[in-house]
Amino acid sequence: MVYTKKNPALFIIGLIMLAIWWGADSGILGGFVDHLNNVASPGKTKYSYMDEMSSIPMYFGIVAIVFGLWQLVGSHKEGSFDYFSSSVAGAMFILVIAMLVRWFIAPEIQAISIGMGKVGETGSYIHKLLGLNYVVIGIVVGMIIVNVFSVPEWAQNGVRLSRLGLKTGVILLGTLYSLAELKNLGQLSVVLIGIFVLGSVGMVLWIGARRNIPNSMGGVLSAGMGVCGVSATVAAAPVVQAKSVEIAYTIGTILIWGVGCMFIFPIIGQLLGMSYVQFGAWAGTGILNSAQVAGAALAFQPDGIETLKVAEIFNITRVLFLPIIVLWLAVWYVKREGGTQVVGVGQVVISKFPLFVIGFILMFALSSTGIFAPAQHYKGKYFDNSNVKAEKMLKSEDVATLSAEIDKIQRNDQKEALSRLIQNGKVSSVDDDVLLRGVVNGKMLSKDATNILKNAHKSVWHTAKKVKKFRQWITWLFAFGLVGLGMQITIGAMKQAGGQPAVIGGIVGFVKAFLSLVVVMMFVSEKI
Amino acid sequence: MENKFDRGSALSIFSSDRKEDLIALICALAIAAVVYFTVK
Repeated sequence: MVYTKKNPALFIIGLIMLAIWWGADSGILGGFVDHLNNVASPGKTKYSYMDEMSSIPMYFGIVAIVFGLWQLVGSHKEGSFDYFSSSVAGAMFILVIAMLVRWFIAPEIQAISIGMGKVGETGSYIHKLLGLNYVVIGIVVGMIIVNVFSVPEWAQNGVRLSRLGLKTGVILLGTLYSLAELKNLGQLSVVLIGIFVLGSVGMVLWIGARRNIPNSMGGVLSAGMGVCGVSATVAAAPVVQAKSVEIAYTIGTILIWGVGCMFIFPIIGQLLGMSYVQFGAWAGTGILNSAQVAGAALAFQPDGIETLKVAEIFNITRVLFLPIIVLWLAVWYVKREGGTQVVGVGQVVISKFPLFVIGFILMFALSSTGIFAPAQHYKGKYFDNSNVKAEKMLKSEDVATLSAEIDKIQRNDQKEALSRLIQNGKVSSVDDDVLLRGVVNGKMLSKDATNILKNAHKSVWHTAKKVKKFRQWITWLFAFGLVGLGMQITIGAMKQAGGQPAVIGGIVGFVKAFLSLVVVMMFVSEKI
Repeated sequence: MENKFDRGSALSIFSSDRKEDLIALICALAIAAVVYFTVK
């Protein structure tokens, strides 16, 4: 079988990519960018993809044109080279759609959402709350393509590269975390999260078996409901041989469940009179999606970020359990599918444990040594006030502004943090930074004073350039993988999967939320 | 997705998960090396 098709599509895709690059480089796309900026934030420049658009489509456009010409005019014989090189057309097809999603469709949707204003007291826009980012939009666009137009024959081989993109992205995720940051986590958060992560996984598997859903669906849903969001779902999927539709169902279930929780959690928290720490611990345990955790925490405490900080800590802790869950699911799946055959854990680890999860651990270890960013970084951000430039220190007029307004602050700890800032000319510690961000969020001071605090915060937090670059790679690999994943989800496959995942997800989500509420109320005091 | 190919599976062009994992690992290490040496 000869896989390479003599079709001009790849060549045309190359031309489209070069057109995007030329549009960005020559300024022709400036009108679109201005439109987005005007809708989203009048007078401000927020669109941040021009750098990407001025380079990425040029490189890939040239590759696509060269390969496209060769596919069109070259002679092709059956063999491995033909098999693998024919996937370039499909890969470029996915990539050009990912470009359109990331640079045009997602920003347009976000601009419309921002134009509609923030939702209630969550302080977030609807696209953030519903998770309408390139992840979801990419899957939806892929689904529209396969169900409305169908994937063209010349692209079909390349669409099967999408999982490779996702696996590479998961490995690189390890670069965003470091051991030093995780060591700062409270023991209670590790224990509490561990119980609920493992408990949720076990519960989904147990209910799934009783409701006769396929093992692959139960496995991937358990990882999504137990750990959190897209990364865990993607990491667990190959281990349980999950189909594309099952991965999409899991992501959809997590997001829909999270939307409900985001609105209900703060109301219950207020009714029960929970403390900031208690609510942060509950939201970080019970809600799965990071943006939705943040939304609930800010809705509960709009005038400070103590709740948000605790919720984030609980959210981060989950990632620790990813390798454990993958190992568990590998053993579970082999046992379930193997029937009566006796399977040893060691045997499964050797034959089934995915190398890409070991890759994730390897990258995490490398990141912890500090070769990509200072070892205490988290997602590339780190606190360092040792060498704040002179022009970034507080000026005498800043000191005067802040000193005049310090009495507007009610809380003593926030007042003391501000005094130290005035005294030292820069933020003294991470704890002070947290307190001062609370002052900013609470809108306690004038606009000028608030801006001074925001600048003081920016001057002590740094972004590691290498980790920033890794984030960009991860985003592209996930965008590529998820558009391709969407192209594998047909309506027939969705009908076959039915509504069981949402039902099981709802049951487990409710039980987890209820039990974590009870545990938090019983064991979590104000201090962790 | 129905498998119309005489190699790999419906979801992957590679003949086994291990091969796909290995290629992903090689790609990730290559990206890490490029980032490490080019981004200052």
